[in-house]
Amino acid sequence: MANGLVIAANASLGDSIFLIVTFILLMWLVKHFAWGPVTKMMDKRAQKISDDLDGAAESRSKAEQMAAQRQSELKNSKSEAIQIVNTAKENGEKSRQEIVTAAQTEAAQLKSKAKVEAEQVKTDALNGAREDVGQIAVNIAEALIKKDLNADDQKELIDAYIKGLTNADETR
Amino acid sequence: MDEKYQYLTFMGLRFNTANCISTLLTALLVFLFVFFTSRKLAMRPGKGQNLLEYLIDFTNGIVKAIMPGDEGKPFYFYIFVLFTFILFSNTLGLFLEVKFNGITFTKSPTADPMVTMPLAMVTLLMSHYYSVEKWGFKGYMSNFIRPVGFLLPINLIEEFTNFLTLSLRLYGNIFAGEVLIGLLLNVASSFGILTAVVAAPMTMIWQGFSVFIGAIQAYVFAILSCVYFSRKLERE
Repeated sequence: MANGLVIAANASLGDSIFLIVTFILLMWLVKHFAWGPVTKMMDKRAQKISDDLDGAAESRSKAEQMAAQRQSELKNSKSEAIQIVNTAKENGEKSRQEIVTAAQTEAAQLKSKAKVEAEQVKTDALNGAREDVGQIAVNIAEALIKKDLNADDQKELIDAYIKGLTNADETR
Repeated sequence: MDEKYQYLTFMGLRFNTANCISTLLTALLVFLFVFFTSRKLAMRPGKGQNLLEYLIDFTNGIVKAIMPGDEGKPFYFYIFVLFTFILFSNTLGLFLEVKFNGITFTKSPTADPMVTMPLAMVTLLMSHYYSVEKWGFKGYMSNFIRPVGFLLPINLIEEFTNFLTLSLRLYGNIFAGEVLIGLLLNVASSFGILTAVVAAPMTMIWQGFSVFIGAIQAYVFAILSCVYFSRKLERE
């Protein structure tokens, strides 16, 4: 400190005052012409950069969201397609079954109908034959009655009749 | 040294014309530098704007290193002007040394304690001002007996030693550089062409080193100013 005082004693105090005045003036000029505008611009740039970063992050997340949505939609459509194919298969199988069943029943119906008809025809034929046999018997009887009946003829006639009866039974 | 200066007396104050002219010249150079680098400001900076913004970032970084956060904000501008001014004045004397009739008219203004002392004074007065503003006058006074009362004399002495070390460190470094450059110039002109050839590379080397020293001293001055600000603004 003593050293400082010695220096101050034989130096010029005016320089110090001059320096302070100059320095303050310089500060004012620098602030007005350079510091103010430049720091404003730097702040603006920092603001812009941070805004841009925020915007980028936002659009990125949006894009990711959209991609995820697309992915899930794609997945859904795939499963939907599979479902459609499965349904179509099922339906085809069902209708095939139906057609087969219908055909089978129809065939069975036709078969039974044919059987019934054949039976009917057979019965009809038998009935017809029986009537014919009756008529024939009556005709034979008429013819015989017109003839003279002796014991042998009688016997012969009865045998023939009986034979005819057994034969008719057998054919029935 | 055998340097001679012209003194003027005005209103009872002595003015050293060399200091006044160099201070004015330095201030003018600083102003022209920031003026021409801050023209045509744009979002995408040009060369000049880049340089100025780099310098601003650098000085802001000095403050932020000591005072991270908002309490350093009032000092950004002061440290920027202080650093730039000291850097320019340290460098000025290395290439501009005008002598006329044996009287020196320009040199590094910071090679004179009467110039470095007011700079340190401004810094320390600012630190006291911001301390009062933050803690109130009572809080500011009570800071002298922190952390314990018996440290009061040490704290008071510290204020003076801060002032002296801050100013005289800068003065000593730059003054020594100037002295050595003066000596090398004397050597160069002592025996004609032979010594000039020998002295020229030495002068160049020393000038380069002095630019380094000048930048370091400007940095040290700025960073110590920040340290003094922050010590006044925070309590242990």
